[in-house]
Amino acid sequence: MNDKKTIQSSVSNLQSPAAAGCTTCPAHNAGNLLKLGVDMTDWDYVVALAGNPNTGKSTVFNALTGLRQHTGNWPGKTVTRAEGGFSYGDNRFKIVDLPGTYSLLSTSLDEEVARDFILFGQPDVTIIVVDATRLERNLNLALQVLEITDRAVICLNLIDEARRHGITVDERRLARDLGVPVVPTAARQGEGLDALLQAVSEVATGQTVCKPHRVKSESTAIQTAVETLVAQIQEAFPGVPNARWVALRLLDGDERLADAIRSGELGDLRRQEPEAKQDLVIHLEPV
Amino acid sequence: MPDPLMALSVAAGLLALTAVFLWPERGIWARWQHTRHINERVQSEDALKHIYKCEMKGRRPTLESIAGVIHANLDNTAELLSDMESNKLVSILDGEIHLTPAGREAALHIIRAHRLWERYLAEETGFEEAEWHGRAERLEHALTPAQVDELANQLGNPAYDPHGDPIPTATGQLVSHGGQPLTKLPLDTPGRIVHLEDEPAIVYAQLVAEGLYPDMPVRIIEISDERVRFWANGDEHLLAPMLAANISVVAEPVTAQEIEEPLSPDNDTLNRLPIGQVAEVVGIANRCRGAERRRFMDLGILPGTQIRAEMRSPSGDPTAYIIRDALIALRQEQANMIHIRLPQPEGQR
Amino acid sequence: MTTDNLTSTDILKTAEALRWQIGRDFHDRLMEDIYTDAARLADRAVTRPDEKPRFDLDRTIDRIVTSRTWGFPLMILLFTIVFWITIVGANYPSQFLSSILIDKGVPFLHGIANAIGLPTWLSGFVINGMYLATAWVVSVMLPPMAIFFPLFTLLEDFGYLPRVAFNLDNIFHKSGAHGKQALSMMMGFGCNAAGVVATRVIDSPRERLIAIITNNFALCNGRWPTQILIATVFIGGLVPAYLAGIISALAVVGIAMLGVVLSFVVSWSLSRTVLRGEVSTFSLELPPYRPPQVLRTIYTSLIDRTIYVLWRAIVFALPAGAAIWLIANITIGGTSLAEYLVNFLNPLGILIGLNGVILLAYVVAIPANEIVIPTVLMLTVLMTGVNAGAGAGVMFNAQSTSDYMSLFTAGGWTLLTAVNLMLFSLIHNPCSTTIYTIYKETGDKKWTAVAALLPLAMGFIVTFFVAQIWRLFAG
Repeated sequence: MNDKKTIQSSVSNLQSPAAAGCTTCPAHNAGNLLKLGVDMTDWDYVVALAGNPNTGKSTVFNALTGLRQHTGNWPGKTVTRAEGGFSYGDNRFKIVDLPGTYSLLSTSLDEEVARDFILFGQPDVTIIVVDATRLERNLNLALQVLEITDRAVICLNLIDEARRHGITVDERRLARDLGVPVVPTAARQGEGLDALLQAVSEVATGQTVCKPHRVKSESTAIQTAVETLVAQIQEAFPGVPNARWVALRLLDGDERLADAIRSGELGDLRRQEPEAKQDLVIHLEPV
Repeated sequence: MPDPLMALSVAAGLLALTAVFLWPERGIWARWQHTRHINERVQSEDALKHIYKCEMKGRRPTLESIAGVIHANLDNTAELLSDMESNKLVSILDGEIHLTPAGREAALHIIRAHRLWERYLAEETGFEEAEWHGRAERLEHALTPAQVDELANQLGNPAYDPHGDPIPTATGQLVSHGGQPLTKLPLDTPGRIVHLEDEPAIVYAQLVAEGLYPDMPVRIIEISDERVRFWANGDEHLLAPMLAANISVVAEPVTAQEIEEPLSPDNDTLNRLPIGQVAEVVGIANRCRGAERRRFMDLGILPGTQIRAEMRSPSGDPTAYIIRDALIALRQEQANMIHIRLPQPEGQR
Repeated sequence: MTTDNLTSTDILKTAEALRWQIGRDFHDRLMEDIYTDAARLADRAVTRPDEKPRFDLDRTIDRIVTSRTWGFPLMILLFTIVFWITIVGANYPSQFLSSILIDKGVPFLHGIANAIGLPTWLSGFVINGMYLATAWVVSVMLPPMAIFFPLFTLLEDFGYLPRVAFNLDNIFHKSGAHGKQALSMMMGFGCNAAGVVATRVIDSPRERLIAIITNNFALCNGRWPTQILIATVFIGGLVPAYLAGIISALAVVGIAMLGVVLSFVVSWSLSRTVLRGEVSTFSLELPPYRPPQVLRTIYTSLIDRTIYVLWRAIVFALPAGAAIWLIANITIGGTSLAEYLVNFLNPLGILIGLNGVILLAYVVAIPANEIVIPTVLMLTVLMTGVNAGAGAGVMFNAQSTSDYMSLFTAGGWTLLTAVNLMLFSLIHNPCSTTIYTIYKETGDKKWTAVAALLPLAMGFIVTFFVAQIWRLFAG
């Protein structure tokens, strides 16, 4: 990884430079994005929107972009990819709505689209919309996304429904555990969207540096296998931000990744982070 | 205008003819397509596969056994074998038939294609388990090695076929499952099924009907010349030794947990859970493969998950269950593949 | 930082070797690990109320809408209301659009054409051909779409539709289909292309293909007017006047029901023959009920549909209008192309109890079922020389039932022609918009061809047998 680890605080994983932060260093891979059909001319940053079906993902998308994409109370509505844009502060963000999926590990076309976009497009931020009333099941997808990218914001949506059912979610604790900002929202009412935009902007510009939670396997056989592979991948492609995920996919027989290794494409995927600032302050309040 | 009666009979005749000719799988066209593929190449490939399997098992292939496999008479079989000999696929010495290195490679290619197809049929299609082998038998002859590699890539380069057999790699390496027949497993030694022999089909169907699957822990209770009695899948099974020999096992320490909690007997599946009650998932049946299995797991149906039966459709099926706070409807045949533990009377987890 | 080719092959080799060691249940273990973590993290962050609330609104609604007693009556009631509002509500805007776009619009455009001195053939081609067909499709299709789809969407937003799928799944399951097909079918009653798009919610490949191929058996909005007209003129005329309304309505409903039965039959046979090997999974999530955002839904749904209808009218109906005008006006040796074609198709038409005019109308009206009747009328006038209509290649609607009757009688129609037209209107190839949509959704030429040709073949077979048996017994 890099030397930032050493400055990590044990209190919080969320760091924020006091200064304005680096605004000139987007992390996305413009070349790959173009191949994936996303033109980044005129845009500063690209934001991907991932989430389970029926979590209000399209509502969040519409609320952020002002677009009137139809949203339905149906699991799995977005099949074709929708794109939109918004600006926040001085920056223009392009936002790509990925298909709603329960997982990224299966073989369906939807999941492949979402998986490849996050891995090869390297969006500057991935917003993971989760349903506050079904956190456990939604975290399944969130944890998988966090394996691929460390630039993510959790949008804890439907917080109004959770309130109605008497469920409270401690978003600070969740943010600390997951190592990424967590913003409670009720997108249908427009609640929490400003905070979401701010969190997205901070992660995009590098003011917030995430250190996401990674799943540890309980099976020693898998653990050993993954470690062996990770070591080799890191040796061949130093700086690959998600060697563990690559290893898992290879063990699962993902041919797209084997291709990326053969062609050296994987080497293009580097952690492109703003320079660490010396005067780090600990950000105890996740937004 | 034609006479109506005449027109009707002509049309009915035409329709019947079309049906006879084009009926899927049993029509003349389908049958002709099928037989067209039974040519010399197919026969030679089937013969290679048979000789290879015999060699692996330490048996000696004979002219008769080959003729049986390729459905031909002895004269034609002999002719085929001499052709194969001149093509340097087999060598025949003093009536003993052996594979040449080239023949072995060709046999492995066919086995690879066969097992990949079985894997494909299990994972990517909706065909019943009993059909996998038969369909793969037909499909295995259709592809070139490059196309087989492509199939393997598409499937994520699987290592095993659905029966637990290793799939040879593209370079022709085959890892043996290292099992021994169930009949050789010492009494009361825990073992694990590594392979179910899928030929002859009638025996295989019987093993499947017993609910046996690769990876299942087994333990012999009683063994004699007449019968083999053993525990597997939380149930007692009784087989003739001849059938039991088609099950390959390895002796292996099975963890205590697995002996205590095998996939429960048939009466404890999710479809039996009364409305309003909660149960804990023990596992997903092995026969549930491919997209269906992955979808179950994506929804969070994993060992230990608490599931509550919430309501039944007014038409009787499906039933909606609360799984990790979400309300999910599952059909009876699906719920039947999810093994559960009913709640303890004391109300423990 | 360079990519060493040797190293990358090494990685893949290592991965291959490791995969033999970790065993077959790798994916299962991986998912277990992830969910274990997810459960732990969720448990740390979420606080639930100590006791279950005594009143759970979602479950209470569910208990009613999926109850054995109330489930089905409630469903029938709701959809009856939706269809009733659509039919009644669409009437006025339809008449309004038709009077503006056709009754006033066509003379107005002709006025402009005359003023700027456009040659007659050009103004006829552009106005009577292209403009008229486009205007026709817009005025027939837009109002019902603009009413039906927002209503449907409101039920969807509320969360009721998944419960419909839940209630009906058993019936669909028995015919090898998915409960959600009930909804794409219902959408199909509005527009088959929309119904085909609606099959996206079916996530199992086999069941989705079945839903796409059989959607055409849902009698769409463009075909209702044909059914209603023919039933009123012919079936209603068979009984005393006071029964005419109800009997002709029953005839139309009967045809729609026949469509539903056919879609079950076809689903059943497809799932057992050609689609047997496709992957099949079932999962149906019943989302929590949410108050629908009424105004926004109506707004977005309206905007979506308007744009869609206009797009369809321009892309598909406009060329059809041009073709209709051309075949009626291009003459070879004093006989129009249309007459040649009608005479050519007539033997086949008669054989299946229809006629050449109807078959030709269905050929040129592939793009839009709405213009079948106007085209039939125009062609009948062209063929018989009856003094009616507005000239060669100009589609029109007659004024009253008796006008229709006299035109059809002149064209040689009998009760058999009417019955078979109703059947053929239900069972024939989908319109070209739907075919195009099917191609886009399946991405497969084979399934598109099956979806287009299967109903057509069935239509020919059904009408043929009806015609022959009719002639055998009725004379």
